[in-house]
Parts: sequence; C-alpha cells; structure tokens
Amino acid sequence: MEHEYIIAHADKSVLKISGLEVKGLNTKQLEQILGEKLHTFVRVIGVTGDNIEMDVYDIEPEQVRKNEKGLIESIVLTEGITVTELTKLSCSEKIVEVDYDSIPDEPISACAMERWMKRK
Amino acid sequence: MRLVYILPTGDEIKSGIVLDLDAPEIVGQMVKAFPEAEVTRLCPLLDVEDTIFNKIKEVAEEKEPDLIILIGGSGGGHRFSKTLGKDFTHSALEKYLDQYASHEIYGKNGHMWSKLVCGKKGNTIIINVPGPFVEAQAACKAFLEAYSKGLSLDEISLEMANAVLAQYPTGAAKTV
Repeated sequence: MEHEYIIAHADKSVLKISGLEVKGLNTKQLEQILGEKLHTFVRVIGVTGDNIEMDVYDIEPEQVRKNEKGLIESIVLTEGITVTELTKLSCSEKIVEVDYDSIPDEPISACAMERWMKRK
Repeated sequence: MRLVYILPTGDEIKSGIVLDLDAPEIVGQMVKAFPEAEVTRLCPLLDVEDTIFNKIKEVAEEKEPDLIILIGGSGGGHRFSKTLGKDFTHSALEKYLDQYASHEIYGKNGHMWSKLVCGKKGNTIIINVPGPFVEAQAACKAFLEAYSKGLSLDEISLEMANAVLAQYPTGAAKTV
C-alpha cells in the first residue's frame, strides 16, 4: 500500500448560511453565483435541510460579513434554495496554520487536525 | 471497460436535499471514453461505513465489473467538524481492497480535505472521487487519462490527487 500526503497552502474561511429551506440544491449553480459575487472560489462542503456550509478561499471574512444582505439576495435564484425571514449568514475567521512536524504519527484519528489537537 | 458502476454516497444526496450532479457528469465521461460500456448509477448510500463497505463488496463480487467509482465522502468530514457530514468512502475502500494506493490532500490547518484511493480487487478497479462537482469532474477526467496511459495504481492516484489539488486556488503544494 502506498500513501502520500500533499499540503494545499490556501487560505480559506467557512461561510455558513442558515435559516434556509433546502431541497434539490444545485451546488454547482450556488458556487458559481457566490463565486462571481465574491470574486473567489467557493466550494459547498455541507448541506442540511436548513443550512449550507461553504469554503471560501483567499478572502477576508469581514468582506463576506459586511456584504450579508447582498449575498443572501444573490442566492435567491439558486435552484433548490428558499430564503426565509430567519436566513442569516456567518463567516469564520481564516484557517490557522498548524505545524505539521508536531502532528503525532500514532493513529488517534485519520484526520491530522484531530491528531494535532490531541497531541501530548 | 465494459461494465462500470457508479456509487454516489451522502445522506444529503440520498434524501434529495442536494441534486446529484456528479453521477451524470461521470456517466457522460465514461460513455465518451468507452462507447460500448454499460454504465450504471446505483442508488445513493447513506454515510455509514459498513453500508458502503457491504455495497462495494456486493457489487464487486456479484457483478464483477471493470470499474466501480464511489462519489463523495472523501474528506476528513465529521472527524474535523461536527456540522459536516460523515466521510467514509476512503476508509471503506481501505478495508475492502487488497491492493491500493492513496494520496491525501491536507489544508494548512491540518484538516484532511480529500483522500483519493485507487485500488484493485480481483480484476475490478475501484476508485473514489470527492463530492464537490468540479473536484469529481477533474478527478474522473484524470483517472481516465491515467488509465488510458496504462499507469500504475499509485500513478493513477497521484494524477487524480493533482487534478483535485488544481481546483483549489493554490500554487504552493508540496508532497511530504
């Protein structure tokens, strides 16, 4: 068995839109609409019946937050999304870089982030 | 390739909350590459490792296809964030396959963004591709190109991982 690891050095934040009604979401269309609005790459990473989580790359979180109204208005036309009175947007801070040399090798978890957090 | 099975995974795909755009794209790529192939999209599976493992085993052993492609569940998922889905296609494949190679793409935050596995069980090649459309599209295209060149499992897996990596806005990737 051969395994190799590749590190992607990209800045990203997690954009979450909650209070939606989601059924039959066209993720490709949503990524395109928000990508054009924010002038960056957007990737849908998690969807439930009432919220959507996305990775947004190389953008200041504050820029996303201050444009909340415009972003919510822009997604109205996306197939599979209904905006409600409860719809709101949040955006995390950028991801924090970890020191890969201090990630334990032992198989606490398949995820290096978890191993790094649980390191002794 | 004469017989190909495509196996989408994900609670949100199975419930219809999210449209399955990946499987039609992959069917299209397969038909274009292998015009005589019989390509079947199976019913999506829930994100449960045993369910995925058992379905891979059933399809591989009963149908003996040339290729099985699993879609989605390729990241760290629930291991990283409780709000994300459960990602089990890579771990199910590692349990099932006798012979495989894999490449893991990590973000600089230590989160495993994607793990691409390419292996064989008997005469069946089995791979997984990530769920995001552009990544699934790129990984499948890279698989077809690498396969047509007769590359090894390790080389195919690397080509697929590099194709996925190219979908991120990053020019700085290093192998460790």
